[in-house]
Amino acid sequence: MNYFFLILKSAFFDFNRNKGRTILTSLGILIGVLSVVLLTAFGLGLKKYISDQFESLGTNNLRIVPGKPLQGGSFSGSVAAIRFDERDFQNLKRVKNLQFVIPIFTSSVEVIVSKHKESSTLYSTTNDIFAGLNLKTTYGELFTKNDDEKRSKVAVIGPKIAEKLFGTAQSAVGQPIKVSGSSFKVVGVLESKGGGFGGPDLDSYVYIPSKTGYLFNTDKKFVAFIVKAKDSANLEVAKTDLKSALLKRYKDDQFSIIEQTEILNAVSSIFSILNTVLVAIAAISLVVGGIGIMNIMYVTVSERIKEIGIRRALGARKMDILSQFLIESVILSLFGGVLGLGLAAVIVFFIRAFFPAYIDLQSVVLALGVSSGIGIVFGVLPAKKAADLSPIEAIRYE
Amino acid sequence: MIKLEEVTKDYVLDQDVVFAALKGVNVEIKDGEFTSIIGPSGSGKSTLMHIIGLLDQPTTGKVIVREKDISKLNDDELSTLRSEVVGFVFQQFNLINKLTVIENILLPTIYARKKFDYDPKEKALYLLERFGIKGKEYSYPNKISGGQQQRVAIARALIMNPDLILADEPTGNLDTKTGDEIMKLLKELNDEQKITVVIVTHEPDIAAKTNRSIRIVDGKVV
Repeated sequence: MNYFFLILKSAFFDFNRNKGRTILTSLGILIGVLSVVLLTAFGLGLKKYISDQFESLGTNNLRIVPGKPLQGGSFSGSVAAIRFDERDFQNLKRVKNLQFVIPIFTSSVEVIVSKHKESSTLYSTTNDIFAGLNLKTTYGELFTKNDDEKRSKVAVIGPKIAEKLFGTAQSAVGQPIKVSGSSFKVVGVLESKGGGFGGPDLDSYVYIPSKTGYLFNTDKKFVAFIVKAKDSANLEVAKTDLKSALLKRYKDDQFSIIEQTEILNAVSSIFSILNTVLVAIAAISLVVGGIGIMNIMYVTVSERIKEIGIRRALGARKMDILSQFLIESVILSLFGGVLGLGLAAVIVFFIRAFFPAYIDLQSVVLALGVSSGIGIVFGVLPAKKAADLSPIEAIRYE
Repeated sequence: MIKLEEVTKDYVLDQDVVFAALKGVNVEIKDGEFTSIIGPSGSGKSTLMHIIGLLDQPTTGKVIVREKDISKLNDDELSTLRSEVVGFVFQQFNLINKLTVIENILLPTIYARKKFDYDPKEKALYLLERFGIKGKEYSYPNKISGGQQQRVAIARALIMNPDLILADEPTGNLDTKTGDEIMKLLKELNDEQKITVVIVTHEPDIAAKTNRSIRIVDGKVV
């Protein structure tokens, strides 16, 4: 007769007899696995979300910014002091193999329609920004190069702020808005880019022509340039050329030329660390669950001393008894792990309606592996206790 | 087949208090014997049974099984030898209630290290038939009578083809009639199949039914 069949039958008989106890014990592992898997799923979702966001901002893009924001993380006083101007813009435009150079001036503004007030970020920039960041309108038109030359007081706005100000995005087109005291005509409403969740709220931005923006940007400075190379193969060459163009005026540590992927990596690594910390905290509950298993296994062993004695008398070796109880604690733990994983899958399924969380194969393997591991680690002491019982005392036990 | 030479067994009760359960016992049980070990409670007969049953090892002295001294064997070796040499029958039957009758009978085989030259399941079914409890294979032990349970226990003791059946008060939990039937069954096994049977008892009536009685008093054979 099959060894494992009789051991499993015996285990399941006891689980069945002590249903409540079995479920409560597994619950500890269930909660642990659930929280670890869910947090990992959120972490993965967040990572994907961020990289999608960057993807949607266009690839082959370089950002030229003052200072060294990606090194050491601090915008320290002296190096951040520079601001780019028209001369830099013209210098950069002379660099070869570029599709376009987009000057950007941003400021925080309040946008008013009749009595309704919304805060927003104003982008004063050229119309190349729309091609550079893959921005398209849902309603109306984008502003043109001509609008820039003529310093037209026109604005292209994000769908979210349009809805807030006008009720619907559609009704915003052609309407006047007041931006920090100046009147603009809304010529277009952009497609949604998503955003929020702690990142920039791209759908609430207001874009106006660069030269029109001198209204707010009286000393005609730019906070950044977005540069697009003609193709990705030229990105490195362009980077070098841009650098030498800027080095004519600035020191090496006064500006950075950043690829989108570098920003992506920097942001992702911050979130990875955060997520790892959260998962580690959740893992504590797994340890607590394991202690629950250990506790109940001790109870099981003391309830079955007689059975252990009988098995020993019939020729079972210490190892047989040890593996029997280890198998039971692994089943108990794995049961909780599988349920936790299943529950996590259900929760993630519903959350996907709002957020791109997902469970990867690694999480599944890890959840099952860790819960079996817990069964072994926390089952070994009770199982050892069972195996080390003296056969004589065990069989006499009533 | 099993021989004890000058066997002593001491139990340490407390730090300095030692209880001598066996004080130099010499016993030989020969192949095919139908023997009883008789003595009052506290005489050391349980300790003697544990040593003969390979559940325990002596403090001093030799235990020779199949011409080999087993007093130096480790726990695993002793377990393996026990599974091959001894079949136990207990007063309390000691069947596992969560396993069926047939599973109980086959339980020793899952722990066996040896290769079987027969089909254990066939043998189990044969024994059930031979003992008049055919049809109870898939019953659970707590659903059958005491006499039937003891028959199952004897079948379990026989499944490994042991050299020795060691029965500890096998009739102690049974009424006289059923007890007599069990004794008759053990006697038949001894007569027909030449299986060595050792019965541990405190009842002279039971001991009288065996061919030889080993009387033990205060840790010594008298």
